[in-house]
Amino acid sequence: MTPLEAIAAAIRTVLRDTGRDAHDISAGMLLAADLGLDSLDLAQTIVLLERSLGIDPFREPAAGVTRPTLRTVSDLVALYSSALDLPPRSTP
Amino acid sequence: MTTTANAATIAHLADAPAEDRLAAAIALVARQFPDRTAVVAGAGGDGRRAIDYATLAAAIARLEGELASARPVGIVARAKRVESLAVIAAACGREHVPVAFLAEDARDLVGELREWVVLDDSLTLPPTAAAGPRHEFATVPPQVVVATSGTSGPPKLVDHSWDSLLAAARLAEQWHGRGWLLVYDATRWAGLQVWLQALLTAGRVVVPASRDPDLVANACVQEEVSILPATPTLLRRLITSGDRPLVSGMRLDRITLGGEAADAQLLAGAKTLFPQAKITHVYATTELGEVFRVTDGEAGFPAEWIGRPLPGGVRLSMRRDGELLVQLSRDTAEVATGDLVERRGDRLEFTGRRSDVIVVGGAKVYPKRVEEVLRAVPGVADARVYGLPSAITGELVAAQIVVHEPLPAGTTPDQVRSAALAICRERLEPHAVPRLVDFVKQLVTTPAGKIPRR
Repeated sequence: MTPLEAIAAAIRTVLRDTGRDAHDISAGMLLAADLGLDSLDLAQTIVLLERSLGIDPFREPAAGVTRPTLRTVSDLVALYSSALDLPPRSTP
Repeated sequence: MTTTANAATIAHLADAPAEDRLAAAIALVARQFPDRTAVVAGAGGDGRRAIDYATLAAAIARLEGELASARPVGIVARAKRVESLAVIAAACGREHVPVAFLAEDARDLVGELREWVVLDDSLTLPPTAAAGPRHEFATVPPQVVVATSGTSGPPKLVDHSWDSLLAAARLAEQWHGRGWLLVYDATRWAGLQVWLQALLTAGRVVVPASRDPDLVANACVQEEVSILPATPTLLRRLITSGDRPLVSGMRLDRITLGGEAADAQLLAGAKTLFPQAKITHVYATTELGEVFRVTDGEAGFPAEWIGRPLPGGVRLSMRRDGELLVQLSRDTAEVATGDLVERRGDRLEFTGRRSDVIVVGGAKVYPKRVEEVLRAVPGVADARVYGLPSAITGELVAAQIVVHEPLPAGTTPDQVRSAALAICRERLEPHAVPRLVDFVKQLVTTPAGKIPRR
């Protein structure tokens, strides 16, 4: 599973769990404006990703990396890719 | 013969000095009914063992002799078997040797009891114990030392007197000679209370081979247990996960709940299953011992108890944030209990421990309240709610759910999960709705039989 797939799956679970429609999720979407995610939703997404990807970049920030501003799905993809030591891929 | 044959004689023992009472009670029953069972270990399982009163009394006399000649500073009871703990307690009491009960998680504290002699199931003092003159304490030596459970901080040692330890052990004759279920750790306050009360009233202590609900129910039926002291968590597990015909075959006359708050749903369920049982809910803390008991079968306690003296001189009050404060008597200080209460109608109900409160983005969540909502969801047998650390919101509400086995035909665990979340959204504040829900076969419980929150 690529980071994008894992992130999309986690966000869909969050939306479903909170009684909202689970849309198709693409990298360019804004977390708050397009997907309606608040801080609690984001916190849940991160817990779910820790389970599927085995890491929590918020708990163990990579050395020398400051936490980026998370605005879009691709910001999340970049954060997890660097934490997993994967090259950030161009979005499909 | 199991009930009150020697109740009158046993009752007289209440006049004996507290430190002598256990040895005296056991010796008395051993003389009149040597074959009567005192302890059943491994009940409901393959390794069942029964120990009679005569055997127990003989072991006490032997250890008394050893203690009388060795005169150790104190004894650390590190035995695993209940009958060994009883022998140690009885012999130490009679010989005025201080005794400490250290549960598994408090073993490190043995360093605080320098020069005390450790005694295991062999019940034999090591040769080194018989040395030197009797230790002189600078202050009055403790009589009984018990470690706290460590559910609210690291375990610590608390001194008790035999009087305070046996304060609750006076029971009316109708309760003599009964079978008592021991599901608690026998070295902790709650467990000590169970086996002390049973052995002081010519009863038998029944220790099930495990905490598996079916096995516990089986042990209760086979060993004719009629008194069941348990935490609400353990009773709930028996009621919701135990085999129905087996559980309803139990003949309970007395259910004593303690260690955690009992909610209305559990109390109603217990009343339906065991209509003849007297249900008592004890409120106690390791530091204070028993504070009060509620016997009306309702959750919490009457709100009018706040601010007026209760029988025994106890005074309850409430802090602005709902924390219950206790003053045991006029000459003792008021103690903050760490337990939070909330008014519902004319009752004050426990909402949980202050340290259990989950803080999500600055807002408080009481896990017990969320558990109550989850347990009311069709298909849910039991639930545990706890806080999960989060870099974004501080903590997040997480839940473990045990489903009824089998689920009604056509129902999947996933449907139970969706229904649970929908009901939570309806009844709870948004931040209190669990964000992580896992299904488990059985909830993890602490050695004290409670639900761990972290």
